[in-house]
Amino acid sequence: MGLRSAWKQMSWLYYQYLLITALYMLEPWERTVFNSLLISVAGMAVYTGYVFMPQHIMAILHY
Amino acid sequence: NSSHICHNGGIYKRPFKESFEETPMLVAVLTYMGYGILTLFGYLRDFLREWKIEKCHNATEREEQKDFVPLYQDFENFYTRNLYMRIRDSWNRPICSVPGAKFDILERVSYDYNWTFKYTGRIVNDVINMGSYNYLGFAENSGVCADAAAEMTLKYGVGVCSTRREIGNLDKHEELEKLVAKFLGVEASMAFGMGFATNSMNIPALVGKGCLILSDELNHASLVLGARLSGATIRVFKHNNMQSLEKLLKDAIVHGQPRTHRPWKKILILVEGIYSMEGSIVHLPDIIALKKKYKAYLYLDEAHSIGALGPTGRGVVEYFGLDPRDVDIMMGTFTKSFGAAGGYIGGTKELVDYLRTHSHSAVYATSMSPPVVEQIITSMKCIMGEDGTTLGQERVQQLAENTRYFRRKLQEMGFIIYGNDDSPVVPMMLYMPAKIGAFGREMLKRNIGVVVVGFPATPIIESRARFCVSAAHTKEMLDTALNVINEVGDLLQLKYSRHRLVPLLDRPFDETTYEENED
Repeated sequence: MGLRSAWKQMSWLYYQYLLITALYMLEPWERTVFNSLLISVAGMAVYTGYVFMPQHIMAILHY
Repeated sequence: NSSHICHNGGIYKRPFKESFEETPMLVAVLTYMGYGILTLFGYLRDFLREWKIEKCHNATEREEQKDFVPLYQDFENFYTRNLYMRIRDSWNRPICSVPGAKFDILERVSYDYNWTFKYTGRIVNDVINMGSYNYLGFAENSGVCADAAAEMTLKYGVGVCSTRREIGNLDKHEELEKLVAKFLGVEASMAFGMGFATNSMNIPALVGKGCLILSDELNHASLVLGARLSGATIRVFKHNNMQSLEKLLKDAIVHGQPRTHRPWKKILILVEGIYSMEGSIVHLPDIIALKKKYKAYLYLDEAHSIGALGPTGRGVVEYFGLDPRDVDIMMGTFTKSFGAAGGYIGGTKELVDYLRTHSHSAVYATSMSPPVVEQIITSMKCIMGEDGTTLGQERVQQLAENTRYFRRKLQEMGFIIYGNDDSPVVPMMLYMPAKIGAFGREMLKRNIGVVVVGFPATPIIESRARFCVSAAHTKEMLDTALNVINEVGDLLQLKYSRHRLVPLLDRPFDETTYEENED
């Protein structure tokens, strides 16, 4: 029951994302291209943060 | 409940409530971002089409013409191929019944993303009509008007096969013109077969080189075309802004024509009664005061306001309680409130006699078809009450009630609605490009037909859905429509309003002209 309402909420949020970024008007392959670009850029940012954050925080604290 | 008018003094004594709420900053930024993404994908698709990786459906030049100047490289064509085509199914929907309060649509489906459509054969029945300009509900296929039009077809046929000047002047046309003059309260009038052609063909007959046209920023394409065809100098003043208009008038009188500084032969102010994209009503008392002070002429295009404003439906002049003789040229159309086709121009007898000989539309265009003329005559008599019933008056009052109710409810729900509280044209802001297509489709799924408008009819970020309230809508229909709009508004997150109503921007609120009443 909770899973179904969570699924509904997630799909409504995805619908809002599609409307705001105008992906709603694009064909499915275009949506795939855009989503993969977005996820790869976000993924790279998260990975860089994960690798470099501890070093940066230690450097700030040692200063 | 209907629009009250003070009959002493003639100056409008009700608060003039017009609002154009500002675009929220976040929404504007997201809209630009959406258009940016669409433009990028548009370039990608154009690249694929150019390199033949993808099949090209739209018009391109032939191989032999590739060395000529390119035809389809401007922004308009780019916009049409890449943005308009994707949501094209919200427009040009084929209707297969009379566009009354409810109508039937032929269902279409597209398997190649709106480049071609196929009909499934199913008819969607009883779609509530929130898009037709059917303000007084005269678009019907049964009743007094339809019977009279049918009788007229049996008597006169449908085609006239000549122009007014030659042998196409029927006695019905003369009767119509007398009736229109009586309806408006002017000396004489003339009727034309097409509303657009009335504007574009008659303004060149009235003004020419050496005259000045002061036209509102948001005037209709027919007025702009007529002004350009005339060859007069055109200056544009900000929408409904009397300070801007006065400044232009002062400059025109003081400086005269550009190089010679001779006085202008004529100064013509072009305004509309109701602006259909904004829902705003012209500030007619101010304009008439300015016109009298600076000795200019006024051309009032009442396409949407005739029949829809005023306690007895005589238009914006009656709405403000003014004298129709103050407006030099009263133009209007029969397409909206009268359920027919065509336009008219009303004014003094000299003006109308001059137009009969000098207007292009009168000399070259075929005259109005007899059943259409009869529809106008019957509906106009109905509005005036001359057919012996109070049906016309009831419809005018029903329209005013429906308008107030619909606008109030939409504003309470939290949508951004533009325009005057009394105008039956209700533009609701959508802003984002994807929401234009989504709104049209979701409303049709729930059996409501709406008109959505985007660029180039509106500025690029201010796309909107335009509702037209009609006297034929019952309260139940309006309630159904409002519930559906509420539901779709929640689904698409369209309730942008922050309830900070700003009175018309660029216009300082003039306490002396409009008095606040506590009713």
